[in-house]
Amino acid sequence: MFGIHPVAFWIAAGIAAVLLLTPLAFLAMDKAGRLSPALRSDLWTRYKSWLVLTPLMVGPLLAGRLPAVIGVGVLSLACYREFSRATGLFRHRTISAVVVLGILLLTFASADHWYGFFVALSSLTVSLLVVIGLLADQPKGYIQRVALGVFAFLLFGVCLGHYGYFANDKAGQAYLLAILLCVELNDVFAYCTGKLFGRRKLAPNTSPNKTIGGALGAAVLTTALFASLIHVIAGGTVLDRPWHLITLGLLLSLTGQWGDLVMSSIKRDLGLKDLGVVIPGHGGLLDRFDSLIFVGPAMFHYIGYFLGVGLDQPTRVFTGH
Amino acid sequence: MEDWQYKPAGDHGLKPEESLRSLRREAGLMGAMTQGAWRLAVRAYLQFYHRLRVDGVEHLPANPSFVMVANHTSHLDALTLSAALPWRLRRFAFPIAAGDVFFETPAVALFSAMMLNALPMWRKSCGPHAMQQLRERLISEPTIYVLFPEGTRSRDGRLGRFKPGLGMIVAGADVPVVPCYLHGAHAACPADRKLPLPWPLHLRIGAPLRFTDISNERAGWQEIAGRLEAAVGALRDHTA
Repeated sequence: MFGIHPVAFWIAAGIAAVLLLTPLAFLAMDKAGRLSPALRSDLWTRYKSWLVLTPLMVGPLLAGRLPAVIGVGVLSLACYREFSRATGLFRHRTISAVVVLGILLLTFASADHWYGFFVALSSLTVSLLVVIGLLADQPKGYIQRVALGVFAFLLFGVCLGHYGYFANDKAGQAYLLAILLCVELNDVFAYCTGKLFGRRKLAPNTSPNKTIGGALGAAVLTTALFASLIHVIAGGTVLDRPWHLITLGLLLSLTGQWGDLVMSSIKRDLGLKDLGVVIPGHGGLLDRFDSLIFVGPAMFHYIGYFLGVGLDQPTRVFTGH
Repeated sequence: MEDWQYKPAGDHGLKPEESLRSLRREAGLMGAMTQGAWRLAVRAYLQFYHRLRVDGVEHLPANPSFVMVANHTSHLDALTLSAALPWRLRRFAFPIAAGDVFFETPAVALFSAMMLNALPMWRKSCGPHAMQQLRERLISEPTIYVLFPEGTRSRDGRLGRFKPGLGMIVAGADVPVVPCYLHGAHAACPADRKLPLPWPLHLRIGAPLRFTDISNERAGWQEIAGRLEAAVGALRDHTA
């Protein structure tokens, strides 16, 4: 279907259907008198943001390998921008320039389908950051600015970069869409089951609204959904066994929630409510995409260990000899 | 061990269009690149088209913060004063520009922020609050303001009266103010002209004045405006 992976097509169609039907659900809830005016306007703001965000995320994925890789690179850069402006790291322009260079090279490594370089960039960029940090010849604050640079590069460059490299797999589109869908729904499930069953707080100092009930509810629902999707995408492979499917689902749900907690912790430490304002109703990009950060590497390496990623596809597309 | 200090960007939490107009706006890597490219182009333009001559560069303080003030006859003024700064200082320079001209529409505001690194001064509704913000920034972080105390471009090329608003920014603060006089800009690009003529420009930079012991109230502001007006006037007589 226009070079689109069949499962990816159906997931995208499902997402589109849900987005189209959501207003009806809102209207029904409104008719039943279940929405306060404040909640109603909040829901609509969030919904309108999703209407813009979803095509921006799904579009590049469906458009093909290169658009997907570039899309992830842009997301990495935008996340770094937010983080560096929130922490003040952006004032150290040489450090920032190295992080940006690292992200650009990671994007190139993914686009080139060159795994060796993709892996090498972690240690190379970290070394470069540590050395470039010396140039200012100001030991005061050296650890802080270099460490913030390394932290940001590993989180927003390397961790998020795994999504870009994933696009090199034949079924990459389907995996990526399944992961995106489940990570976002994981948040929704945690919110809803938390409202229904949540009593004990999960981490009151880090994120006062999260409950253990919500975390468990999300783990159950997300695992069921993601396991079924992987069962379809990787049907007939070694991964298509209950044990693997459940592990993958649990891993996705847990790492997704960790990303959320990590970003909450960062915000608390900085004393900021949101890390940005680009997405009305959500805050910054990082407030919305925090849960993606650790899911990417976890899924990539689990699937990669058993099936490999992009093994049957041409490698070193640009640099090949 | 001391706690780490995090200092978010001054314009953190503002919507993009608010951030462009914010007096606390701080440029990142993108801004640094666009502004750097713009400076290169402007410097080349001033050198070749206007054969810009600068005297008194040695009067510029070695480090920020400080303020440059000058006579105002043309849109070339702010460009020339910023271009006269050594490369190392230029990233700290903020021309203070009329909000109603340089920040009215989003496209123009984007240009003023990304290329000129200008900060808006809203002439009709400029309250003490904006002055206070400019003052705080000047004192608390390395900043160079380029501003024109006449408040508008002189239509006949003569030096007008300096407004006391500038005093609110520097009175009692340990921040040097550098008087400058730009000769030739009125002939090259008067207020009613769109495109500049290739007339030569001559910028003279004077010795900095300090107003550390001037009280931060109306009388003090008047005195600062008067002394700077005299200093710029003296540079003019010297140039002519």
